[in-house]
Amino acid sequence: MSIHQENTHVSHLTLDAVDSDGAIRESLDAVQGDTRARFLAKAGLFGGGAFGGAALLGLTAEGASAATAKSDVAILNFALTLEYLEAAFYTEAEQMLDSSGELALFNKVVAAHERAHVSALKGVLGRKAVKKPKFNFHGTTESEAKFRATAQVLEDTGVKAYKGQAPLIKSNAILEAALAIHAVEARHASWIRDLNGAPPAPTAFDKPLSKSAVLAAVAKTKFIVSPAKKKTARRRTTGATSPNFTG
Amino acid sequence: MTVARVGTLVRPGALAAVLGALLGPAAGVPAAHAAAGPFQLSEPGKLSRWAFVERTTVARAEPRRSARAVARLATLTPERTQNLVVPLERVERRGRLWLRVRLPVLPNGTTGWVPREHVGTYHEVRTHLIVDTSKRTARLVRAGRTVFRARVGVGRRRWPTPHGEFFIRNRLRGFQDATYGPLAFGTNARSAVLTDWPGGGFIGLHGTNQPRLIPGRVSHGCIRMRNTDILRLDRKMPIGTPLTVR
Amino acid sequence: MTDVITVDLVDREGGVREALDEGRGATRAQLFRRAIVGGGTFFAGGMLIGGLPKLALGAPSASQDVEILNFALLLEYLESEFYIEAVSKNTIGGETLAFAKVVRDHENAHVAALKSALGSKARSKPQFDFKDTTSDPDKFRATSIALEDTGVAAYNGQGPRLTKATLAVAATIVSVEARHAAWIRRITGKPGYGGAAANYPAPAVLDPSLTKAQVEDAVGKTGFIKG
Repeated sequence: MSIHQENTHVSHLTLDAVDSDGAIRESLDAVQGDTRARFLAKAGLFGGGAFGGAALLGLTAEGASAATAKSDVAILNFALTLEYLEAAFYTEAEQMLDSSGELALFNKVVAAHERAHVSALKGVLGRKAVKKPKFNFHGTTESEAKFRATAQVLEDTGVKAYKGQAPLIKSNAILEAALAIHAVEARHASWIRDLNGAPPAPTAFDKPLSKSAVLAAVAKTKFIVSPAKKKTARRRTTGATSPNFTG
Repeated sequence: MTVARVGTLVRPGALAAVLGALLGPAAGVPAAHAAAGPFQLSEPGKLSRWAFVERTTVARAEPRRSARAVARLATLTPERTQNLVVPLERVERRGRLWLRVRLPVLPNGTTGWVPREHVGTYHEVRTHLIVDTSKRTARLVRAGRTVFRARVGVGRRRWPTPHGEFFIRNRLRGFQDATYGPLAFGTNARSAVLTDWPGGGFIGLHGTNQPRLIPGRVSHGCIRMRNTDILRLDRKMPIGTPLTVR
Repeated sequence: MTDVITVDLVDREGGVREALDEGRGATRAQLFRRAIVGGGTFFAGGMLIGGLPKLALGAPSASQDVEILNFALLLEYLESEFYIEAVSKNTIGGETLAFAKVVRDHENAHVAALKSALGSKARSKPQFDFKDTTSDPDKFRATSIALEDTGVAAYNGQGPRLTKATLAVAATIVSVEARHAAWIRRITGKPGYGGAAANYPAPAVLDPSLTKAQVEDAVGKTGFIKG
């Protein structure tokens, strides 16, 4: 028996028919369940948290050791920040974007991937994981044209970011995980470029970007909202003046 | 006193320039297909949304910069809290996103279109407050279940509490005026008859120093509750909750 | 010589066939679970999906870089000749031909870069026989998917063994192979991808690695390399 790549053309793509995320999630649960028992026996690797995430990246107890280099932790947290941003962007677009067909499928699949990347990186970092920032995507999750352009930039930038960091990673296990994610982001980039009518692979070699260059580019988008400046919604909507209602 | 804050906004042109710089070689992005129709953002009782007004803006009759101005929206309410809007729908016209929002102007129920970038990120609420003026009841519903009930005082026939769809836009407390009880909620509803009431004649939802009048047609339009009830409601009802008066 | 490259390319122990035969009636979720929990790899539609294999890693060194880059050069020679031949035969047509032309140029550039890096230590180009995988459009697409996916896995497998300077160079290549893979997968599968996540441009959360031995074995089974 062989698997034949068929060009079956589905006239109406129904997302319900595609249980991609369900299948992957189920199998991941099985892996996490299995390795969690082993990790619990060697408690305190990263002080609690989702061990499952580390298992997803194929990191055993040896790989995700408490002696992880500070520079590797910084790199993982840099990656986590980018993944937080992408996951939040695509997750918001899943709700707020009026899209259909393959673009909606792209959105759903990539959102699931980025959420899984967040979960995996948080699992490896444990207590050392940075907190998820607050975001404001300024309408880019609500307009199809803006979504397309933003997704393309986010994916291309993600590829460059991982590529820039790879040679700096000290742990082989973490490098392997970073390369695994890096290739997936490149697939995302190729896919959305193709959807946008742009060349999926514009050059024979992809260039890296330094961490500072990536962070500067991200800062320019103003997607990340600085939490320190914002009062809670409750405080902002509560006043102390005497009411002047009709009574 | 709440200080007015204007958030930093990225206008569509500025964002495009930033994205263009990041993209490198020009990448053609296809024009979006014509939108099927407005995208619904709020459905009282199910999922409703609200957003802060980030900069003073003008709500227009159509989603067009040249359309007639219907109302000006400031960043602060008359009570000096941060102003909010409840967006009902969203459309995209010529690359700009517009939201149709409920306005605090007469006639009650007036809506207008504001540019998306003038309001902040969406907050979600799943609660819905329903006031029945003939039964003199208020109930708060969440996910189809009633989670709060109380008797209320409503406007007398001369100054009726207006019927329609509104929203709770702020909360006041710590003030010294027992006629309003310990806590008052502001809404975007206006009295249709007390049009020259100082401050505009806004309808509020508040406590009272005359609990024995409740239930009844007793006020100039406001919805009154016993003080224990309004405090109980405050624990369950977030600002931005839609208010239906019938 | 097999009809379709995909399954035979990597199914050494017949474990995949076994899973598939058992799989009549099994949900895809169950197949994934068996594969990943069992520590094996599951191959569907050209893509290896599974946990990351434990890689035996020697310390990076200049001489090891040479060995690894020559391994990469062999794969790039293979891809480059495959696309050159397909374009010159000119029977695949349409979007697939446009893809082949661009990718041919990229793979040629990769060959040139690796040869330049290796200098006199660069291996020679072997003879290839691609049979009708370069003329039959469906076989071309299936083969291209397998070659690009496997190329990504090969580079990812070698990454941790390289010195950092060489890794930086390899990293600029592997993401382009991943772009190629997603591109030809999209051409082959759109708009519905046969309803299977395994056929998507990005079929998995993580791109797995293969060891050198696994890649050599898989490539050997294709019968493409003649000498």
